[in-house]
Amino acid sequence: MTTYTICIFTENTIGLLNRITIIFTRRRINIESLTVSETERKGVSRFTIVIQHESREDVEKLVRQIRKIVEVMAVFGYLNDEIVFNEIALYKIATPLGAKSLDVETINKQYKAWVVYWGLDYVVIEKTGNNDDIFAFFEYLKQYEILEFVRSGRVAVGKTEKGLVEYLPEAEWAYYL
Amino acid sequence: MEAIASTEPEIAHAVDTAPAVTLAPAYINGSQALMRALVAEGVDTIFGYPGGAIMPVYDALYDFQDRINHILVRHEQGAGHAAQGYARVTGRAGVCLVTSGPGATNLVTAIADALIDSTPMVCIVGQVGKKLLGTDAFQEADVIGITMPITKWNYQITDANEVPDILSKAFYIAQSGRPGPVLIDITKSAQLEMLTKPFAYERCRSIVSYRPRLVPKKEQVEAAAKLINEAKRPYIFVGHGVQIAKAEGELLEFIEKTGIPVATTLLGQSTISTNHPLYVGWLGMHGNYGTNVLTDEADVIIAIGMRFDDRVTGDASKYIKQAKVVHIEIDPSEIDKIIHADAPVIGDAKEVLKALIPLVNANDHTVWRNEFRKYEAIEHEQITVPELTNNGEKIKMAEVIDMLSTKTKGEAILVTDVGQHQMMASRYYQFRRPNSLVTSGGMGTMGFALPAAFGAQVGAPDRQVVAVIGDGCFQMTLQELGTIVQNKQPVKAIILNNNFLGMVRQWQQLFHDRRYSFVELQNPDFITIARGFGMDGQTCSERDNLSDALDTMLAHDGPFLLEVIVEKEENVFPMVPAGASVSQIRLK
Repeated sequence: MTTYTICIFTENTIGLLNRITIIFTRRRINIESLTVSETERKGVSRFTIVIQHESREDVEKLVRQIRKIVEVMAVFGYLNDEIVFNEIALYKIATPLGAKSLDVETINKQYKAWVVYWGLDYVVIEKTGNNDDIFAFFEYLKQYEILEFVRSGRVAVGKTEKGLVEYLPEAEWAYYL
Repeated sequence: MEAIASTEPEIAHAVDTAPAVTLAPAYINGSQALMRALVAEGVDTIFGYPGGAIMPVYDALYDFQDRINHILVRHEQGAGHAAQGYARVTGRAGVCLVTSGPGATNLVTAIADALIDSTPMVCIVGQVGKKLLGTDAFQEADVIGITMPITKWNYQITDANEVPDILSKAFYIAQSGRPGPVLIDITKSAQLEMLTKPFAYERCRSIVSYRPRLVPKKEQVEAAAKLINEAKRPYIFVGHGVQIAKAEGELLEFIEKTGIPVATTLLGQSTISTNHPLYVGWLGMHGNYGTNVLTDEADVIIAIGMRFDDRVTGDASKYIKQAKVVHIEIDPSEIDKIIHADAPVIGDAKEVLKALIPLVNANDHTVWRNEFRKYEAIEHEQITVPELTNNGEKIKMAEVIDMLSTKTKGEAILVTDVGQHQMMASRYYQFRRPNSLVTSGGMGTMGFALPAAFGAQVGAPDRQVVAVIGDGCFQMTLQELGTIVQNKQPVKAIILNNNFLGMVRQWQQLFHDRRYSFVELQNPDFITIARGFGMDGQTCSERDNLSDALDTMLAHDGPFLLEVIVEKEENVFPMVPAGASVSQIRLK
């Protein structure tokens, strides 16, 4: 199994997420993570979808099927070494009176994680990194009581010189930048 | 798409200049805007069925009866297939108008059929009012969700101001590139609301995110030409795409220059006259003997506007492994989907052939072409002759089609349903004109033929339309006899009645040890049914009467139903068993 990251640039319209995921469902491909946000161009959304697959050929076919959707402008499929990618995780840790105190120095220096919220008897720690980093930190935090743990889908940018939006069809784009 | 642009009505580019009928010109409601958009788009025919959530549109339609011919079907599936038949013979989008909920869900089969057979269609579907969306309101169904996987594009209009832009986009998407069905769901509130700006309609010419390539890349054409010029045993497969692109003339020029033999897919039939010396037959499960066997002998396959359906390839893992493949396709997702293309050419078949013709060498490939004749002789002797000259008690399907072909001089539009009769019709009808076979290929929808034949007749009033239907298929959509009669369309329908679901029975005989599981039908008296609808008809069960019966049908002024009682347990051969490779084709 190889991890593929598929970046899809689309018009920002209702129902498009459904139209895209149907293509995965029909081919029985499980979506490991999915993130959608608007890009630096107004009205253009960017989907980042992570899948595991055995066959590069099948992933290429999948990419072509996604490209076929009318509102899809461009689709790029990547292996991990072709992109810079990250995820973000939040850990909610119980800190009741008398509990083991947090080692904030280790958390900051060794795990590059930060306490972002102090509750009355809990804290919320934020960490960005790849899957392994986030789970290594999770392992470390097991010595405390983890009340909640959540992580986001992957976001990724290509390692190419140009931005991916440069590959989009020409039009009168409005920019945020 | 150029092919469509050439058939554009006069009003094509204009902002709609049609005079408003009942209201001041500037401000109209969503339903009236919809009507004016249809007129601006050149729509002259709609197949539909009214209901609660589409009533404002029907009210607006009342004032447009002089410009839009609305045809009231008997079931929404009939509207869908009729629109398909219309689209297939005209090349323009067939338009359906139905209500929400069951009206829309009844269209689903036809939409799926249109998608897989690349048929342009615009389905306009009523929806409950905007405030009721998502409340399980009466006749509310999530039609956008239901049709998402089976439409090329769909959209829900909730604001009357969206009507002109969305309609123009709908027609552009349905008719351009690889054509397909588009569904527009329009809420009742949007149908009733007034537009807040004057109505203006501009035909859509492009969409940023959707740019089908028509003119091929030069290097792709050159690579294809190189393979074709080096080929010793080249072989052309023609699919539906050639007729969609109206590239029949370019195809002829191309093959007559290169001398390459041509086979077609099921939907590719009638692209080229069956008596053309370079035509060798059709491909696939019930295609011809030589066309299938010799796919394994060709060194270059030139596939034009076809998608290597599993009914064509048999076991795809063993298919044309020896050959280089030139794949000419407008839809890039078809490249390498089933069969690897050594030289893919993305583009409209007409544009690609035009670009290719000057680059290919003149040739005649006589020796190679003669190999097809050897297999033809075998097939002729073992299958065709026995089927056409049998003296058995019962008439054979082949005889009916062969006689029909002779009597219509191969000039009719043949509309078939799905099953044995479909394969027999394809085998024995000698097509002489392009765009003459309307059949449900990819989806294999039983019940397609009767409404599709009606739609084809509406779209091609000057041509003889003959539907060939099985007794099982007929009973799926026979209510459309009413539509045919009410609209006085001279559709001729032939039921080949063997009292069986024949193709399923054939498979049960060949692969399930003759365990005939639920395939025998106790049929009604079809002619009495036709008469009940006000349609003439007759039954023919004797060979001696067949010729007269066909003459009576063809000469009849108006629609006619001819029931022919055919042999009960007849099988269609040649046959490539499902999952076998094409070389394992069986002659018996």
